[in-house]
Amino acid sequence: MGKSCSYGSHKSDKKKHIAKTWKTKRKTKDLDQIHSDMKPETAAQLLKQEVDFDVTGCAQHYCLHCARYFVDMRSLKEHFRTKLHKKRLKKLRDEPYTQAEADRAAGMGSYIPHKKVEVKTQPVEEDMDEEPPTLNPVT
Amino acid sequence: MRIEKCYFCSGPVYPGHGMMFVRNDCKSFRFCRSKCHKNFKKKRNPRKTRWTKAFRKSSGKELTVDNALEFEKRRNIPVKYNRKLWDKTVEAMKKVEVIKYKRQARFIMNRLKKGKQLEKEEAINEVKKNIHLIKAPHAGKAKQMEEKMVQKLQEDVVMGDVDV
Repeated sequence: MGKSCSYGSHKSDKKKHIAKTWKTKRKTKDLDQIHSDMKPETAAQLLKQEVDFDVTGCAQHYCLHCARYFVDMRSLKEHFRTKLHKKRLKKLRDEPYTQAEADRAAGMGSYIPHKKVEVKTQPVEEDMDEEPPTLNPVT
Repeated sequence: MRIEKCYFCSGPVYPGHGMMFVRNDCKSFRFCRSKCHKNFKKKRNPRKTRWTKAFRKSSGKELTVDNALEFEKRRNIPVKYNRKLWDKTVEAMKKVEVIKYKRQARFIMNRLKKGKQLEKEEAINEVKKNIHLIKAPHAGKAKQMEEKMVQKLQEDVVMGDVDV
């Protein structure tokens, strides 16, 4: 139940430095942060970011739910079909856990069961396929 | 001073114990011990971690909705000290605690009753299904047949007597 499933087999190299991935320095976004990202205004902002040369793919191909940048449209689309992405969507379907819920679980008020949220993969713009040639000369 | 609740396990965090993590969006998380902090770092869901209060409440293992649970609350309004009020509150707290524990215990006992009933039903079903192991299907049949034969013979004898 509690075992995280993304670490692979026993022999994998990823397993050797788990503690490093848990460092605050390497902290990735939490689920409740992604939930707040999913609000329409912020989502629109994140999906249409300005060109930033320091970020993978110039910050043009962002997966909202996994909080990841991709090199191009093709890899982003490929990512949507992966298990990692689908599992993330499944995790996001529950309302985020909060301190208020922890308090209620501790006996401060009646416990209210969490709700389900409908989460779908972000819509992909088909015109983006034509855009890269225009973008390339800029880079 | 306030006894906070742990973000992960909902246990009490006494002053000077545990730690607080402040995320870069200023949201703070309190943990009662390193166990809870580590589990948070691993991005585990408290609702799905068996030993947390959140799991026990969300999966219906403990009493969730009750008036006895409504007394303990975060009150941000300061109350002027009043000895009488203080005494009464402490007394009431003790009483509420007793009632709360009783109700919680009763809830758990009622929940476990269902299992006992199911166990009984299952045991009966098992016996019914495997009755051939307890009693052979043809056990005692030979003796019954013999008795029947003897009865028939006797009847025949009686009939013969009447005929004669």
